[in-house]
Amino acid sequence: MTVQAYLLPRSLPEALGQLAQHGLDVLVMAGGTVAMPLINDGISLPSVVMGLRLAGLDGVERANGRLRIGATTTLTQLLQQNAVPVLREAARNTASWSIRNMGTVGGNLFTPPPGGDVAVALLALDASVTLSSSRSARVVSLADFYTGFMTNELAPDELLAELWVPISNEPTAFLKYGRKHANTPAVVTVAARVTWDGPTVADARIALGAAGPHPIRARDAERLLVGTDLGTDAIAAASAAAARECEPFTDAIATEWYRRRMVGLFVGRALQQLAPGAATEDR
Amino acid sequence: MTAPLEVVGRSVERSDAVGHVTGRTRFAADRAFPGMLHLKMVRSPLHHARVRGIDLSEAERVPGFVRALTAADVPHNRYTILSLIGVEPEEEFVLAEDRVRFKGEAIVAIVAETEEAAMEAVAKVRLDLDELPAVFDVEEALKPGAPIVTHWGNNTFMYEGHPCRRVRLGDVEAAFARADHIVEGVYNSSPIEHAPLETTGCIAVPEGGRFTVYTNTQALYFSLDNTSIILQVPGNRLHFIGGTVGGGFGGKVDVIVEPIATLAAMKTGRPVRFVYSRSEEMQVSSTRSAWRIYLKDGVTADGRIIARKVTSYADSGAYSRQTPYALTKHAANAAGPYAIPNVSIDAYCVYTNRQPTSAMRGFGVTMASFALEVQMDRIAETVGLDPWSIRFLNAYRNGDMKPHRKLADDATLIETMQAAAALVGHELTAEQQAMTSAPRAGGDPGGR
Amino acid sequence: MASTIVTFELGGREVEVLVRPMTTLQSVLRNQLGQTATKDGCRQGGCGSCTVLVDGEPMASCLLPIEDVAGRRVTTLESLTPAEGLHPVQQAFVDEYAFQCGYCTPGMVMLSKALLDHDPAPNDEAIGQALAGNLCRCTGYRPIVDAIRHASGAMSGHDTEPVR
Repeated sequence: MTVQAYLLPRSLPEALGQLAQHGLDVLVMAGGTVAMPLINDGISLPSVVMGLRLAGLDGVERANGRLRIGATTTLTQLLQQNAVPVLREAARNTASWSIRNMGTVGGNLFTPPPGGDVAVALLALDASVTLSSSRSARVVSLADFYTGFMTNELAPDELLAELWVPISNEPTAFLKYGRKHANTPAVVTVAARVTWDGPTVADARIALGAAGPHPIRARDAERLLVGTDLGTDAIAAASAAAARECEPFTDAIATEWYRRRMVGLFVGRALQQLAPGAATEDR
Repeated sequence: MTAPLEVVGRSVERSDAVGHVTGRTRFAADRAFPGMLHLKMVRSPLHHARVRGIDLSEAERVPGFVRALTAADVPHNRYTILSLIGVEPEEEFVLAEDRVRFKGEAIVAIVAETEEAAMEAVAKVRLDLDELPAVFDVEEALKPGAPIVTHWGNNTFMYEGHPCRRVRLGDVEAAFARADHIVEGVYNSSPIEHAPLETTGCIAVPEGGRFTVYTNTQALYFSLDNTSIILQVPGNRLHFIGGTVGGGFGGKVDVIVEPIATLAAMKTGRPVRFVYSRSEEMQVSSTRSAWRIYLKDGVTADGRIIARKVTSYADSGAYSRQTPYALTKHAANAAGPYAIPNVSIDAYCVYTNRQPTSAMRGFGVTMASFALEVQMDRIAETVGLDPWSIRFLNAYRNGDMKPHRKLADDATLIETMQAAAALVGHELTAEQQAMTSAPRAGGDPGGR
Repeated sequence: MASTIVTFELGGREVEVLVRPMTTLQSVLRNQLGQTATKDGCRQGGCGSCTVLVDGEPMASCLLPIEDVAGRRVTTLESLTPAEGLHPVQQAFVDEYAFQCGYCTPGMVMLSKALLDHDPAPNDEAIGQALAGNLCRCTGYRPIVDAIRHASGAMSGHDTEPVR
């Protein structure tokens, strides 16, 4: 059915009120870069759509050692912040200029793979999200947010209102491998971060995009790095583990076979960027 | 003696330049007409199926629905684009009858007041389909017991009674027997979509018993004449306006949108717009064929190719469109620009349950060139020559008989390679530098 | 189905349109206002042929519900084209033969205009990054990059000769 009503709430409470009223019947849209193509082609035929562009949910600010990113902050706005450089790198590698002017950080979490590159960086950064309803608000870590392909923790009356990213000095590597240099779906996207305890790795985060039903952590690989010096052997072992544990798929961009091999290769390259002595390398 | 040249050797502003940079160039779909209706297509979700029933009852209730067209509405529903030049049989259906042969095949045309209403009605058409076994590989399609795609025969286009386009020169088997090396290779390519920025489309406008059709076809008279046949109306009732094409590359020579849009304009008495979505352009419109090419070459120890056997398969998809012609061009070029005295070519146009394929820049020839030139490098490796030498050694000359019995009279391979070598700084031997495409002293080397 | 009235600024003039819910800016421009310079290549934000500027920033008009544009400033190729002659970006596209079929050209010109507004002297890397969302199937992009460099020179007051 052609769209009967387009709701444009001017605030979060108004949006939550309208959501409570319409429930599952409403399609929630932020930048429109994922929903509009489906509506334009008649693949999605919603009767009521709620657009969040004017709901005042955009904006980036530092708060208590964390970066607060409003859900409808555009990828262009994300490119303009300096607190977390890797998020700039992730935004720069996502879509095209026009689409970055429209697509939002919150919306990126709902973009099916092989899209959703910013979400991969956010996962490696231990980001969390605020899920708000007219009843309450709760904070969920991004690692717990995803529950399956196009499914998540969001209840029918909840909206993703904001994201929280810890600000740390640990460098984070972000590599996206696609079939073109820009504006391209991922063959694989890798974000990696390690925390050091003197000369050894105390903790590690490896997040993968286009390697599962949603951005995933390579937890076996992360575990293998703890206690090592992030030397050649440790990197090789972690890369192999990531290639084993990931769940890639075949699509028009790449085969499952190829993606699995590229996960191994690009996890290795990302970790090499974080290894001692790598600082002089061109990133 | 002559006036100074006004155009040759100068940069001349294109006549359409200002139109393009100001956006005033009018592409087919930039036009609008009062009362214009929109046509959207109900397409097969299956690769191969029997059509048991079509239920329009829900679609007809969509606000803005105007009418539906099915095969029964099309005066001459079965057509072949190249029937204009005598290609047979008529095999493609404007709208599917009892069977669909590829995913995306048109079944029902929906005409509505708005695009949105047309899309909604399309979504509400219920199809009763019985899925049939499908075949997607050219060699699988030729095996006994393979699902048969065509309604009129087997899975190959027929060339004067033969299942392939054949070329024969000399005796390849005898030459293989005396060759020092046999070099074999198999070369595959994928389908390629033209992906023009402007999708295929047209607007058909009734004008006092005539129909004016604004179209972005690359082949205006193909479109007009086939529409005339399909709708069984004389050509003088059809006025086709084209010439502005937003990218074609061969992808806009099939007659796909004009007949059904014109029929819809006839049935409703109103202008009808039918423009492909990007998804249709990618998934339904013709592509370049996928190819599989087997090469077997007999080569002497000093690098002369004395026999070449080519077995090629082009995946035509569910209907042949322009692909039979591609195989004929292919067969004329598949030995390459080389003087080879013994040649055997079998080139098959194979039907499968994939998207139909058709024209695209040099179709039939480009894939042959890819396969042959990779093969030439492999021959060079086998006999221990460099890639330049193997080509100079075997290059054809004017006066040589080509495998399809045409005397070469426009050979330029040697001169082209000499120019290319100069450009890239490759040093040729004195002998190579002295060579020309001029006829050989002793005439055609046939039987060498 | 309730239609709504939306007001926005188009080429310096306020326009008011009566639309069905969620009509795209692309559709309003092409079908209601007859401004067909804005092209319709994919309706998926994937080709760039419908690029317009909203408050000076390039956006895919096929993905923008017109309601989202209410009160904002929209610039299309029609509004960029001077009453007489051509904008320097347009002239550079003519001089460099930066098109064949012309279908991507309106989007390319709008994007190039936005790029030069942000970065008056972009290098090839910046041009490539900016152009990544605008597809051209004819030219291979080189003459388009040349046209942007040429326009950059022309707009900064030097090098008004074609790049080649």
